[in-house]
Parts: sequence; structure tokens; C-alpha cells
Amino acid sequence: MDWWISLDGFLIGLYRITGWPVPDYFIGTFLLAVITVIIGEVTTSLVYRANRGYFKRLNSRLGELHDASMVALRLKDKTNYRAVNREANDTFGQVFFGMFGLSASYMWPAFFALAWMETRFAGIRFPIFIKSVTAGYFLSFLITYVLARIAFSMLKPHLPYFKNIMDHQETGGQPTIPALEEAR
Amino acid sequence: MFKKNIILRVSLLILIIILSGLVFGTLASGAQVGSDLGLSGKLGAAIAKVPAGTASGQIDINAPKGFLGIPGAPQINPIVAFLWAVWVGWIFSTVGAFGGIMAGVGHMTVFGLGDYTKEFKKTGPEFNKIMTDSIRMANQWLVGLSSGIGSLNYLRSKRLAWPLGLALGLGSLLGAYFIPLLTGGKISFSAYQGWFGLAVFVVGGFILYETTPRGQAGKKAAKAAAQAFEKSVKEKDAATDEGIKVTKWGLGRIEFSFFGVEFGFNPIMAFIGGIVIASISAFLGVGGGFLYVPYLTSIVGLPMFVVAGTSALAVLISMITSITSYLTNTGAAVDWALIGVELIGIFVGSMIGPRTQKYIPDIWLKRIFVVLALYVGLGYFSKGFFGTSWVPM
Repeated sequence: MDWWISLDGFLIGLYRITGWPVPDYFIGTFLLAVITVIIGEVTTSLVYRANRGYFKRLNSRLGELHDASMVALRLKDKTNYRAVNREANDTFGQVFFGMFGLSASYMWPAFFALAWMETRFAGIRFPIFIKSVTAGYFLSFLITYVLARIAFSMLKPHLPYFKNIMDHQETGGQPTIPALEEAR
Repeated sequence: MFKKNIILRVSLLILIIILSGLVFGTLASGAQVGSDLGLSGKLGAAIAKVPAGTASGQIDINAPKGFLGIPGAPQINPIVAFLWAVWVGWIFSTVGAFGGIMAGVGHMTVFGLGDYTKEFKKTGPEFNKIMTDSIRMANQWLVGLSSGIGSLNYLRSKRLAWPLGLALGLGSLLGAYFIPLLTGGKISFSAYQGWFGLAVFVVGGFILYETTPRGQAGKKAAKAAAQAFEKSVKEKDAATDEGIKVTKWGLGRIEFSFFGVEFGFNPIMAFIGGIVIASISAFLGVGGGFLYVPYLTSIVGLPMFVVAGTSALAVLISMITSITSYLTNTGAAVDWALIGVELIGIFVGSMIGPRTQKYIPDIWLKRIFVVLALYVGLGYFSKGFFGTSWVPM
């Protein structure tokens, strides 16, 4: 399980940029978070590409069933509304659990980063406004990870490989409601 | 003279009794580890109180470090962890809910953490309970994180019945926060295993019902009706989106319209439902995602997309709250690298699942999982509450 510690020499280099310990800690943690975000995005794109057809089929079916349930509602046809909605709920379940792989592919690098940070920064606590309230490496990584995600999402539309994945995800990865989309 | 002899004999007897107590007491408590072995927080403090030694229920400080950096703890083979997680990911993408249960089985049985933790039930009860919390939290991380993207996606679709979401979300927040707070450091591994087994048994029962002719008949009828209705309405346009409009507020009933149709629900029932479901999910580390949808469907009968968005909100709130509560209130520790390896396995498994689905009929998948659920449920229930498994395990 410790093979990744061979990366220690490279990773600790991220924490030696300015020479001032506290700024270096936060800069290094942010850079580490950026690396985990990029690796996560790459692996997510692979999972998405592998399952794109599957997600597209399910989401398309979801949209059809939703449209039909809306028509049944409008016609006040309770029996058919319940039948169609039940089908839609079952299909939703398949889509929801199918997305677990996408989530896992986003998150896995962050956990290896945390494992490495624990070996280096486990004993360090930072006071949050007052000395009696402190936070360790986990909270500092979590905050920088969220910031790195936000920064990457702003850059994503301009990055060639990720931009293409985004375009596909707009139609295939999100639930679609065709009739409602046209009505907007 | 006679009185003097009696006093001497009684005094000698008392001294012997006291000395015996000291000898037996020292032998019983043994030398303790006496140090946190470099492990922080409550885990390190609990380890310091465990007897030192090489026998069962003792910690050998010279043994190689295993799970969470504890000397002598199981050294989880990363390949085994990866392969088991591939199995979990495959289940998520084929059957769904049962994947979380298999993740729990991995942590408890396959990786050997359950048997290791149980050794300390009498010799290190505090350590036993913190290890139990660490296992619960490992389940929570894995299943909770895996549901993150799906939940965010459905939230973004903006089909959220916000009064229902508010009631359900508040209940989920309370359940997910207070269960780790109230049970952290108090549940022995045996008790947790027993309850987990019971929950698995119940899930197995539901899946079993779905495979019976009656369960199948209901589903087939609904499917046939849905297909017939879809064909008949293919030419018709769906109504324009009128959004969700609240028409009546009340503690006993809230009503709103969606697509011109009135819906209503009891906010107290939604609130209580949120507490119950989030509590189960936070206690076991599984069960949030697949319980909200049937609950919302049964109490309100909302259209799927509204149920999807509302349940996604509840899942997200429950997941974030329970993980935060475990980290801050219980002192449970996390093996980050193990979770990382398992997440890789899950995403690999999730890529395999859609490709094998066409070769294995849904009914046979469910039958396999029924057998697994009943076997695991029975084994864990009996092992946890009665000390011995009723099936080979």
C-alpha cells in the first residue's frame, strides 16, 4: 500500500516554493489539490467515454418516461400515471447507481493525496481565528480542493480534451427533459 | 494468649486476602501498551490502554504496522481491496443498492477487520468501539462519496419540491448528525455486525419479494401499462413547465401544484422520514440512496424527476453531515489510501457492469443477490448477537 510514497520527493517539492513555511504549506496544498483534480477529471473522462452509450440510453428513456407521466398527469389518468412513474423511478435508480463509478473516478486521487499528507503533516494544527479552535491537514486540503475544482471548472471550456468531454456530458450525462427543455 | 493467637491468625488471613487481590488484579490487567504509538486522537489514547503482548486481544508493539498504522493489525492487500471494490462497483452498476452492503462485507470480513476488532471486546473495549466507528466511517465514505455526483446532477436539474426538500433535508441533517454523535465510541463491533446483518436480511427480503411471481406480476403489469400508454401519447405534446407552486402552508399539510396537478404531503411525516432514513444510513454506513425514493413515492406520489431532485438533496445533506459528524465527534480514523484503492476498483467495476448486463437477466442477478443477502445477513446477525455464526463464515 505504500508504493505511492515513492512520489514523496516530488510532492514535497511543491511545498518548497517560497521558502516561507506557512505560505508554502498552503501553496503546496493547493498545487497538490490541482494535480488531484486534473487526474480525477482524466479518469472521469475515461469512465464517461466507456459508459457514454449506456448513460445516453438510460437518460433518453428517463426523459421519455417523464414526458409520458406528465401527459398522464395532465389527463388526470391516475392508473397510467402511477405505472409510468413507477417505470421512471426504476430507471432513475439505474441511472443514479450507474453514476457511482463517475463519482469514484473524480474522487480517488484526493484520497491518495490525503494519505500522503498524513505522513507529512499529521501533527500540524492551524488555529481558526482563535487558538482554541484548530484544523489539520484534512480541512486545509478540503478547502483547497474545492477551490481547485472551481478554478478548473472555469478553465475547462477552454481546454481541448476536456471541452469535448463537456459537450458530450451536456447531452449524455445529465438527465434530459426534452419537452420541458423546448418549453424554456 | 489464646486471644493473641486469634488476632494474629485473622490479621494474617486479611493480609493474604489483600495480597491475593493485588496479585490477581495485576495479572488480570497486565502491562498495557502505555503509549499511543504515534497515533493521534482517541485512537491513540485507546491503544495506550490495550494490554501489550502477542496473544489475542493484545497489541504487539514490535509487530509490523497494518490498518491505520496499528502494529499487528490486518495488512490489507491492495490487490484484494481493489478486486473486491471492482465487485462492489459492478454491483452498483447492475443491481444498485446491494453494492453498499458488499462494501461493508469487504471491510468487516474480507479484509479481516471485523475479527481483529472483536479480539479486543474484553481486553480493550474502547479500542474495539473506535475500530467499529472507523469501519462504519469507511463504509460511509465509500458509499456516500459514490453517490455525490449523481446527487449533484439531479439537484442541477432543478426539479426540486423545495417544501418537501426542506422538511426531508432538515430531518436528514438531524439524523445524520446525531447518530454518529450519540453512538460514536459506544457500539461494540459485535452489536454493529448484528444490526448490519439484520439490515442485510431485510434488504434480501425485499429483493426476494421482487423475484417472486407476485412481485414480478406487479412489475410486469406496470411495465405493460406504461408501454401501452407511452405509445398512445407519443403524438401528444407534453405540457409546458409551470414549475412548482405552493398553494397551502400548514404544519399538518403542505400543498403545491406541479403541471397543474395538486400534490400534498405531511411535512412532519417527511421530517420524521428524513430522520429515520438518515439515521439508518449513518449508523450502518449504507442505505440512504435507495430508501429515499420509495419513501417519497409512497408518501407523496410525485413525478420521478421531482422525487429524484428532492431525494438527491436529502442524500447529499445526509452524506456530508454524517461524514463530518464522524470526523469531529467520534474520533474514528480513516485509512485514506484504502478508500482511494477502493474508489479505483469501484469505477473499474462500474465500467464492466453495463457490458455484462445484457448477458445476465435481471431476475437471475436478483436471485444471486438474494442468496448472498440471506447468507450474509444470517451469518452476521447470528455472529453479532449470539457470538457464533449459524452458517459457515
